Amino acid sequence: MDSFKKKFVEEAGELIDKLEVSLLELEKNPEDASLIQQVFRIMHTLKGNSAMFGFDLIDSFTHNLETIYDQVRNGQLQISPEILNVTLASVDHLKLMLDEQNYNDPDFKTVYNGLLSKINAIINPSQPDSIKVAKESQQPEGQISTYYILFEPNQDIFKNGTNPIYLLDELCSLGEYKVFCHFNRVPEITEIKPELCYTYWEVLLATSQDVNSIQDVFIFVETESKLEIQKLAELNLLSDNAFVEEVSHLAEVQKDVGLVTVQRIATKAAARLNKAKAEQFTKERMAVKDKSASSIRVSSDKLDHLMNLVSELVTTQARLSLFAEQTNVPGLAPIVENVQKLTRQLRDIAFSIVLIPIENLFGRFQRLVRDLSAELHKEVDFIIEGADTELDKTIIENLSDPLMHIIRNSMDHGIEDARVRLANGKPAKGKIHLKAFYSGANVIIQVTDDGAGIDPEFIREKAISKGLIPPDRKMSRKEILDLIFLPGFSTAKKVTDVSGRGVGMDVVKKKISDIRGEVEVESEVGQGTTITIKLPLTLSIIDGLLVSIDNSPFVIPLSSIDKIYAIEKESIYNTYNNLVALDGAQVPFFSLRKEFNLKPSDEELEQIVVVNFEDNRVGLVVDHVIGEYQAVLKPMGKHYKNHDIFSGATILGDGTVALVMDTNKIIKMFANIKAVK
Amino acid sequence: MEAENKNQIKSYLTFKLGNEEFAAHVSKVLNILEMTPITKVPKAPDYMKGVINLRGAVLPVIDARIKFGMPETEYTNNTCIIVLDIDVDGESVHVGAIVDSVQAVLEIDNNQIMPLPSLGSRYKSEFIIGMAKVEDRFIIILNMDAVFSVDEITEIVDANQPQATDDEKRG
Repeated sequence: MDSFKKKFVEEAGELIDKLEVSLLELEKNPEDASLIQQVFRIMHTLKGNSAMFGFDLIDSFTHNLETIYDQVRNGQLQISPEILNVTLASVDHLKLMLDEQNYNDPDFKTVYNGLLSKINAIINPSQPDSIKVAKESQQPEGQISTYYILFEPNQDIFKNGTNPIYLLDELCSLGEYKVFCHFNRVPEITEIKPELCYTYWEVLLATSQDVNSIQDVFIFVETESKLEIQKLAELNLLSDNAFVEEVSHLAEVQKDVGLVTVQRIATKAAARLNKAKAEQFTKERMAVKDKSASSIRVSSDKLDHLMNLVSELVTTQARLSLFAEQTNVPGLAPIVENVQKLTRQLRDIAFSIVLIPIENLFGRFQRLVRDLSAELHKEVDFIIEGADTELDKTIIENLSDPLMHIIRNSMDHGIEDARVRLANGKPAKGKIHLKAFYSGANVIIQVTDDGAGIDPEFIREKAISKGLIPPDRKMSRKEILDLIFLPGFSTAKKVTDVSGRGVGMDVVKKKISDIRGEVEVESEVGQGTTITIKLPLTLSIIDGLLVSIDNSPFVIPLSSIDKIYAIEKESIYNTYNNLVALDGAQVPFFSLRKEFNLKPSDEELEQIVVVNFEDNRVGLVVDHVIGEYQAVLKPMGKHYKNHDIFSGATILGDGTVALVMDTNKIIKMFANIKAVK
Repeated sequence: MEAENKNQIKSYLTFKLGNEEFAAHVSKVLNILEMTPITKVPKAPDYMKGVINLRGAVLPVIDARIKFGMPETEYTNNTCIIVLDIDVDGESVHVGAIVDSVQAVLEIDNNQIMPLPSLGSRYKSEFIIGMAKVEDRFIIILNMDAVFSVDEITEIVDANQPQATDDEKRG
C-alpha cells in the first residue's frame, strides 16, 4: 500500500505542477474556456486520486476548489484576481498536504482553515448553486432501478382535497419517468360527476431511490386508492427506446397495460440493456487500457541501467564492425550492418526515453516571478524561450534550485525600482529573459535581465573588504565578476527576504558543477546581467565523424558538420587570410594540425570538414576522414575540466581512445588567438 | 571505521623518479599498469600526457617527472603508470601517474616518518608528508592528493630553493 501512496504522491505532485502552470496561463487569458476546463479536469483527477488513496483532506479540499471552477465553467462566476490568488495559495497548500507529516503542524491547520473559508466565501454568494452541485455529485452514486407503479385512486379522492396530479408530480421528481394516463373509466359526458375521479395512471419510473421513498409519496392516499409498486429491473429501462415505445403503444391500444405485460416486456428490455451495458463497459475498459498503455512509469534506476547497457552495446557493436572489416568473412558484413542499424535505433529510443522538455521547470519560475514581482513591487516581463529543449530528467531536477537563485537575484538586485528605471531612461517594466537552446553538443540556459548590472569595482571592493582577495591583486574584468561565485559573497547592500543571505551564487556554482555544468556571468553596468549555464551533453552517446590528425583519432559531432571536401595541401599552407573557396563561397578555416602544434602532414591531399559555427560555416582541416562513428562519450576526468575544447573521449573498437571535439569551443579558441595576434 | 583502517595500514608503495625515491600510501594506489600508448590531448599542459583506456573508462595520465620539474626521458621497460585514487574536494578522482619505475611496498611506521628539513628542500612542504629513512635510503613520502590535484597551476618545485639536489648532480 505504501508504494501505491508513494506513486500517488509522485503523480499528485505532477498534477499540482500542471495545475499551477495552467492557472498562470489562465491568469493571462481569463476568458479561455479550454483553460478553465483544463484546470477543472486536473482538479477533478486530483480529487479522484486522493480519494482513492485515502488522502481525504486533499479530497475534500480539492472538492471545494473544484466547485469554484465548476461555477466558472458554468458561467456563474468570473475568473478574478481574487479567485486566482486563492487558488494559487491553495495549490501551494496542496503541495504541503501531500506530506502527511505536515498535518500535525498547527500552522498547517490555520492555513488550511483560512483557505477553506476564503474558498467558501467565493462559492457562497451563490449558495443555491453549491447545493445543486452537491446534489448532482450525489446522484450518480446510487444504483438506478426501474419501477412500475399503478396508481388508481378511489373515485371520491377529491373529497379530502387530494389532487392526484401533485402526487404524480412528486413521484416524477424522483427520477426519469413515463406516465400513462387512462381515461377508459370516464363515463359519457352526461353521466360525469365532476367531484369524482375517473382516471388512473400507470407510471414507469427510473430512479435511484428505493421502494420506500416511492411509497412515501402516496403515504396519505394509500388507504383511498389502489396502489401497485413493482421493481421491474435494476436498470434504467427508460433509456431503452424500444421498451418505451412498446409500452406506449400497448397503452394506447389497450385500455391499460397491466403489470404482467409490462414485466414481460421489461425482462426482454433488461436483457437487451444488460448486453449493451456490458459492451459499453468493455469499451470503456478498453479505452482506459489504451490510455494507460500510452504512458507508463518506470523507476529511473531501471532507465539508468538500460542506458548503461545500450552504451556497452554500442561499444561492442563498434568492435564487431571493426572485426568484420578485418576478417572479411563472406556474409558477415550484412549481418554486422544490420546489427549496427538496430543498435542505432535502440540507442535513439533509449535516449529519447530519459529526455524530458524543460517546460515544467520553466513553468515553475513563471510562478516565482509572479509572486516576487508582487512582493517586491517590481513589474517584470518574464519571457521564456526554448521551453521545448529536452534535457535529461536528473539534470532538470538539479537545475531547479540554481535557476531559482539566479532568477531571484535578477528580480531582487538586478531589476531596479520603476522610479529608478524611468530616471535612467529605461521602460518602467523590467524584463527577464529565460532561454534554453542547444549549442553544438551542449545545452545552454541563459537568464538575462535588463537591470542595474554588476559594477566590477563594487565587487572588487567588497571582496577586498571581506578578505576574499588581497587588495593589490590585479584581476581581469571577468575574474572580478567571477568573484560573485565565491562562498560568503553577497552583493546585496542589505539582506532581504528574497536573496542575499550570502549563500546564493556559490551554491549555484556548486550545484551546477555537480551536474558537470558551468556558470558564467556577464554584466554591463546599467545594461543588465546575463548568467549563462552550460550543461554537458546529456546524451552520453553521440553520432560522430571519426577523423585522424597525425595518426591520432578524433571524433567530430555529426550534428555540427555541414559538408566534407578534399583539399590540396598547397591551398592551406600558402594562404595569409585563412580563407578557402568552397562551392564558390569563401570559407574561413583552421588547420587542426597547425592549431594543435603538430608538424605539417606529408600528404598532398587533406580533408576539410566544414562545420556550422554560430551562423557561419567554418572549415577544420584534418588528415583523413575515417567514417561515421557512434561515440560513447566518457568524461575525461576532473584533470581536464578546464580543457573544454574536447567534450569527452570515446573508446574505439580497437581499444584506443579518441577525443571528441567541441567544435564551437575549438573555433572560438582559435578565433580568439587570431584576434589577439 | 574505514578511515581508521586506512590509517592503521602502514604500507607504502615506493617508486623512482630519476634518482629520487618517493612513496605513496597504498590506500591511494588502485593499480599499477605497464606503459601503454597514450592518446595525446592537444593544447593541454605539458605534464598532462593524455588519456588511456583503463578497462573501458577514460583515465587521464600525468607525467610525474614533468610535474616534479625533472627533464622528460624516453620511456623504458620499467616505466609504469600508477593508477591513483585522489581526493578532490571530498570526491574520489582517478588519475594515472607515469613514474620511472615502481620499487616495492614498504612498511613504514608513523614514528619513522620525520618532518622535512625546513631548509634545503626542493619541494614545497604542502606536497610532502615527511621523509623516512629505510636501509640508509631517504624516501620522500608524498601527499598524493596535493601532488596530483586538479589544480593546473600547482608547482611542486619550490622556486626559492636550489633547483637540483646533490643527488641529482651525481646522477
